[in-house]
Amino acid sequence: MLPTVKINSYQFLVLVILFTIGTSILVIPSALAANAKQDAWIAAILGMGIGLLIVWLFTKIGLWFPNLTYIQVNETLFGKWIGNIFSFLFIFMTFLYTAILLYYSGSFLTIHVMPNTPMAATNILLAIILVMAVRLGLETVARSAEIFIVIFFILFFILVVFIAPEVEFKNIQPVLETDINKIFQSSLPLIVLSAMNAISLLMIFPAFINRPRSAKKYFLIGNIIGGLIITIITTLCILVLGSDMTAFQKFPGYELAKKINIGNFVTRIEAMMAALWIICLYFKMVIYFYAAVIGLAQMFQLKDYRPLTYPLGMIVVILSLVIFPNILEQSVYDATIDIYFALTVCLLLPLLMVVVYAIRKKQLKKNSDHA
Amino acid sequence: MKRGIFILLIVSIFLTGCWNRRELNELAITLAIGIDKSDDEYLVSAQVVVPSEVSMKGGKGGSPVTLIQGRGETVYEAIRKMTKGLSRKMYPGHLRMLVISESLAKEGIGDPLDLISRDWEIRSDFYVAVAKDTTAEQILNVQTPLETIPANKMFSTLKVSEENWAATVGVTLDQLITDLRSDGKEAVLTGILVTGKPEIGSSKQNVETITPAASIKLDDLAVFKDDKLIGWLTEDESRGYNGIINQVKNTVGTVSCPEGGKADIEVLRFNTKVKGNVKNGSPEVAVQVKIEANIGAIECPIDITKPESIETLEKAYEKAVEETINHSISNVQEKYETDIFGFGNAIHRSNPKEWKTMKKHWDQQFTDLVANVKVDVKILKTGTVNNSVVEKGKD
Repeated sequence: MLPTVKINSYQFLVLVILFTIGTSILVIPSALAANAKQDAWIAAILGMGIGLLIVWLFTKIGLWFPNLTYIQVNETLFGKWIGNIFSFLFIFMTFLYTAILLYYSGSFLTIHVMPNTPMAATNILLAIILVMAVRLGLETVARSAEIFIVIFFILFFILVVFIAPEVEFKNIQPVLETDINKIFQSSLPLIVLSAMNAISLLMIFPAFINRPRSAKKYFLIGNIIGGLIITIITTLCILVLGSDMTAFQKFPGYELAKKINIGNFVTRIEAMMAALWIICLYFKMVIYFYAAVIGLAQMFQLKDYRPLTYPLGMIVVILSLVIFPNILEQSVYDATIDIYFALTVCLLLPLLMVVVYAIRKKQLKKNSDHA
Repeated sequence: MKRGIFILLIVSIFLTGCWNRRELNELAITLAIGIDKSDDEYLVSAQVVVPSEVSMKGGKGGSPVTLIQGRGETVYEAIRKMTKGLSRKMYPGHLRMLVISESLAKEGIGDPLDLISRDWEIRSDFYVAVAKDTTAEQILNVQTPLETIPANKMFSTLKVSEENWAATVGVTLDQLITDLRSDGKEAVLTGILVTGKPEIGSSKQNVETITPAASIKLDDLAVFKDDKLIGWLTEDESRGYNGIINQVKNTVGTVSCPEGGKADIEVLRFNTKVKGNVKNGSPEVAVQVKIEANIGAIECPIDITKPESIETLEKAYEKAVEETINHSISNVQEKYETDIFGFGNAIHRSNPKEWKTMKKHWDQQFTDLVANVKVDVKILKTGTVNNSVVEKGKD
């Protein structure tokens, strides 16, 4: 009934990398530095480590049923009613995140690049290519991601090399001043954004991948690469801007790019660097939206998911415009509600699944043997 | 086909041009902003480039820049009010200098700086300076020779002077904000003043003579406590300050020879390390300076063909630098009681635990702080000649 396209492991790796970096590259340095100060880079590494454990849990869950998506796994494990309630929560989350990411990109563009443009204009434009991508299907998305990851790494390399002369190691001392509890606390947003939310990737992994077993490895590797890039960006922010300035800025990554000055010649290239964030943001958004659309289609057992894309796309645009009345609501939401929400849907539910799976394992095996 | 046309029509709605485009001829490119305060009102002056006068084809002989002003209760209001006297909207993306008047600096610079760091068009790579004994308006009102645009003159002067004489320091906006927000370092800014007859400075006449009637000069450093200016360093203290914060790239030092007379040392490399330490509960810093130098000039009877005399000069210069640094530390400790050297940050780096209790009354701790200054000078070369010009060859 639903698409039978399969992407290969490398394409999946690319998607995981872009998804992991996603919004983190823009906002995480500031969030980490707010509490962990100059130890933000330690928090980033810690967050990466814990995140990896969570992703490993996701791969385990995925590989129980190599042919089913997360929604279908839910139904198999919990039965129709309870499973659907959980699935609905999941779909609601991915859909909400699509709108939030649209809000992010809109607010980034309108704060730094085009302040007089109404956010509706940027959001509609982005939503059009978002809907387009999901309509064209997973394979197209994965292939374009393959192209964009090259651009991403070239830009990232330029950023790192060009900012290197501005580094001041004084900024990172004293190491480990913040106590480990606080570091752990401040790494929580990173864990939520980069690892827990990766549960959305269970809509692709393992059902739409041609060799799911090897893709498991790539899921983890992609998460590590993404985590490393976030760690590098955070460290650079601390080294160049100092911990205080990093926490002071809304988008420290952008401020970092502003600092680039090679012999008064290569300067003012931050607009080019903004492409970095937009690429990651876009692919993360596509994956969320894809998960929401496919999830909804599977929940209601539709023959084709495409009719859903237009109406959902329109709702996403409107939602992105009304979701936060102002930018402070967004930071409060990110720091409080979002963490509990993500903990529930992305950690508690999967853990519950593990328990149920352990109990029902034999029975499920028998069923699948019959089928 | 029909579908294609439909898409084309939709797309053309979005591709009509940039939403709020501002063409080059609609911008007033602002290179310097000056902020004064009088009667609870900000007076903001902006030095705006007159494009036709600085174009390659040559202008009509008018002034290359023009000054626009606005008054308002806040800086933002004042800036927007400028449009009353200006046909274009101000574009501060290429800002080079921000000049704050001394009287405003004494009241506190935190409030006016907020807008400047919040605004999206303004970058943070320009210098901030204090107008000494005058208003910021006055500073921006002087024509300069050599550089047709005064703002560029100030920017380059600050840069060149910082690199070659090292008594001034170019503080960029982000550096200043970091200092203002830091517990362990207070801010300093370079002073800037007008010499001569400022009344004439504004007219083109000023650059028509070899010696301009009025000119802009850099002065010594202004010392801040929190965001308020509390005093000025002398030139020697300014150089000592630059030495401590490792800002010296290149400078010239004068030492006295043992048998009278002077010798100049040209510093090529200057490297300072500040290390904090806490001994018996009281903070200490060790300032280690390493200098590589050449002999710049000998104006005394000393035989520099002998290695011993080089050693004497090295010792003499070591002592001189040590004195300058010690002098500026003790003077700042006594007079201003504000840690402009960032010693607090050094303690923070070395003893984070002790720092937590110390930072609450750091100003007091700072005044009692002991600084051990160690200078190591190496003279490598003697320039293009051997002995002094007047020294006769030995028979």
